[in-house]
Amino acid sequence: MVEIAEIAVSAAELKLGTEPVQGDGVRLAHAGPKARYSLRARDAKALADVIGRALPGKIGDTEGAIACLGPDEWYALLPAGTEMPRGEGLAVSVVDVSSRALGLVLEGPGALAVLSSGCPLDLAKMGVGRATRTVFETVEIQVWREGEERWHVEVWRSFATWLWHAFVAAMHGAK
Amino acid sequence: MLLIHCPYCEEARPEVEFAYGGEAHIARPVDPSTYSDEQWEEFLYIRSNPRGRHHERWRHAHGCGRFFNAVRDTVTDVFETTYKAGEARK
Repeated sequence: MVEIAEIAVSAAELKLGTEPVQGDGVRLAHAGPKARYSLRARDAKALADVIGRALPGKIGDTEGAIACLGPDEWYALLPAGTEMPRGEGLAVSVVDVSSRALGLVLEGPGALAVLSSGCPLDLAKMGVGRATRTVFETVEIQVWREGEERWHVEVWRSFATWLWHAFVAAMHGAK
Repeated sequence: MLLIHCPYCEEARPEVEFAYGGEAHIARPVDPSTYSDEQWEEFLYIRSNPRGRHHERWRHAHGCGRFFNAVRDTVTDVFETTYKAGEARK
């Protein structure tokens, strides 16, 4: 008779962690509640006028917690509860997507290695204050480099549990 | 991993961020109702399939989200150049 090994982790144990996880030189934690807005417009100035905030002009730059993701696309990551004018009737799109994503924060000298374990971008070359959409393995994420050793990762809610455990697994193996 | 230069992000980015979009510069029929079966066949299915320089569409799906055009060598897999959608064939 073949003996079947006990599985290492049961499905019930695979829950999204709530408490920060401390690894060797890296800490994983939730970013906490945020207000998130997806901002679209062909005319950046019209959009900036509607929301009353400056917009970064170059893809990958951030300004005042707003990142430029594409030629006509921005993403705002603001303190929870922040309201934004919607610009009804104008050729701009301001959509509250706060519930769509979760923010995870990797911090410490080992954070780069953990993120690089599944992200194909050359993150070491990414400047502080830059942000971009990319992938971790096959999951789409947004990476914001908030400090030399502080990375904010935005991930859609349904992928968050998997990403959390992928980070924890990488932290156990990360130097 | 292949690095592809996105003309919108102005950066070389990893291949897995991109999605392939087929041959580039194929114009849609202006008045589809006038198309014969042969013309539809030509438009839908017939592609140049060259050995060498190939003009093709790519989308930076996990990046800026934009479609752009690329010239890739189908033999060596080397990207000769990429340019924004709407620009003339290179």
